[in-house]
Amino acid sequence: MTRDATTAGALSAKRDTVFTAAMLLPGALATVVLILFALSLVLFLSLRNNAGPLLGEGFTIENFVSIAIDPLYWTVIIRSLSIAGLVTAATVVTAYPVAYYLAFHAGSRRGLILFLVTLPFWTSYLLRVFAWKIVLAYNGVLNSALIVTGLQNEPAIALLNTPAAVVITLAHAYAPFAILPIYVSLQTIPTSLLEAASDLGARPFTSFRRIVLPNSMPGVLAAALVVFVPTVGDYVTPALVGGPSSTMIGSLIQSQFGKANDWPFGSALAVVVMLVILAVILLARHADRAFGSRT
Amino acid sequence: MTCSTKRISAGLAAAALAFAFSAAPSMAADKLKYFTWSGYELPEFNQSFNTAHPDAVETTTFGDDDDAFSKVKAGFHPDLAHPCYDKIARWNKEGLLQPIDTARIKNWDAIFPIFRNLPDLKAGDGKVWMVPWDWGNTSILYRSDIVKDPEQSWNLLWDKKYAGKIATIDAVHDTPVVAALLAGVSPFDMTPEEMDKVAAKLREQRPLLSSYTTDMTSVEQALSSGELVAAMTWNASATSLRKQGVPVEFMKPKEGMLTWACGFVLLKDSANVDLAYDFINSRLEAASGQHLIQSYGYGASTKAAFDLVSKEELKTLQLPADPEEVLKETVFTGPMKQNDELAKMFEKVKAGG
Repeated sequence: MTRDATTAGALSAKRDTVFTAAMLLPGALATVVLILFALSLVLFLSLRNNAGPLLGEGFTIENFVSIAIDPLYWTVIIRSLSIAGLVTAATVVTAYPVAYYLAFHAGSRRGLILFLVTLPFWTSYLLRVFAWKIVLAYNGVLNSALIVTGLQNEPAIALLNTPAAVVITLAHAYAPFAILPIYVSLQTIPTSLLEAASDLGARPFTSFRRIVLPNSMPGVLAAALVVFVPTVGDYVTPALVGGPSSTMIGSLIQSQFGKANDWPFGSALAVVVMLVILAVILLARHADRAFGSRT
Repeated sequence: MTCSTKRISAGLAAAALAFAFSAAPSMAADKLKYFTWSGYELPEFNQSFNTAHPDAVETTTFGDDDDAFSKVKAGFHPDLAHPCYDKIARWNKEGLLQPIDTARIKNWDAIFPIFRNLPDLKAGDGKVWMVPWDWGNTSILYRSDIVKDPEQSWNLLWDKKYAGKIATIDAVHDTPVVAALLAGVSPFDMTPEEMDKVAAKLREQRPLLSSYTTDMTSVEQALSSGELVAAMTWNASATSLRKQGVPVEFMKPKEGMLTWACGFVLLKDSANVDLAYDFINSRLEAASGQHLIQSYGYGASTKAAFDLVSKEELKTLQLPADPEEVLKETVFTGPMKQNDELAKMFEKVKAGG
């Protein structure tokens, strides 16, 4: 009897290991092949001379030296960080009310609103960028509307081909990525906390400030990261709606792999940007731990 | 119930996957893979080829032949590509090309000698690296109702009066070449000091520009709406806006328009060499060239094509029937010795450096 039980237990333990291994395999493969291999290739390339074959020749740190001593690259990196920062701020601030409404007031319309939030994803990102081009263009929807309503006599707002256009387009594109995590974090706040607050005489604003906001901070931070990290390296949007004053680091990296034909230098730029983003994230986490409002 | 629903959906998913995988290999292997400028893929350009080999071309397009070069170098393998003459030496240096036997090109002798005899084309032994097909000009297209009687000079693209209403072409063999001309430097061979002068000229222009672009459709729309008043373009944009009735002029700058010539190159590991020859032969027929002249205002490489277009039409297109006549007044974009350095410098200036 006992022996039977042990064998069964051992058997099931063994089955568990096999099952766990099988479940981990795809993830491990993806990590090793798609992420670690690609990353080490970029690192390897960044230390090569741009000569002869595709993968360069010899080893050098010159790529990093020229990035470090040329202020241009830092200007562009700082510009990218500020544009991404503005996009993140705009996205989170506009997404929060939507998520709040979804979590507390949407009721039976919740399904419909969630559906509407994800609806833009049914079309390609390029189409959404071009839609913004139509809205922001010189004789586009926005300027035409201003003329029709008599607020302006001639097209006045030159939005297209400015950094503002990049911020608007990206903030719209990334809105669902911010709405969903904030919504989830708001939804998990126990209603009993809110009831207790109002029982103790807290006004709605006080309970928002002391209960809802602190409890939803993990969602807000997740949203900010999910928006910030990809937008720093974006190059399609500035290329299509940005104009010369909003060249971002992604465009510069892309051109090294395209027109400028210098893959090692492009890789070095990519490595530097990764390190900068890493530093920003570490700073943000540190700030969150030090001054974070999580209860 | 739920169990059977699950099974059904799993079955459907598996079927969809199987379908997706089986559909992929059915993409034809013996189609001619043609890598060209966007707009150059029209079926009218190779009608006889399409009749002989229905549905046998697979086109991929590019907006700039430096990007195309990087793509091919990185392992994209078309059979036939369509760069411009100034890039041939560069493609060749990487060993990407195989010589084309002129004996197999029916209309080879009909090609204007000035293009047929370009030095970088020669591969020896009756063979060439590129078969010229099209040529044209790069200049300033401006709204003649807004910019009234400007000085005929490239300096219009540096005029502070039109800040924010100017665009230029994002390609090394266009904007930097013009900057070099204005800086008094030879675009085709320059010392590092001279390159600094070119960079300074380009830096002077950057704040005035609405964009650096190769998207000519957007440029044409912006010119017709008045968002732009002047832009560096190729003939095709002038032709297209004139057809729409927009008041535009294609300038004849005193420093010279840029004249370029492009054509077909056969890639080293092409799997469809015979199809490629048929394709080139079809494109060199007079009707193909005629379509190129009439729809885009670009020059064809054979005189036979020009003979099919009336003198008046050529006059409105500002396209003389003889390229030698054009080249007396224009600057031919030949190979640039410092192409890579220029490209890097141009990228930096564009980014604000």
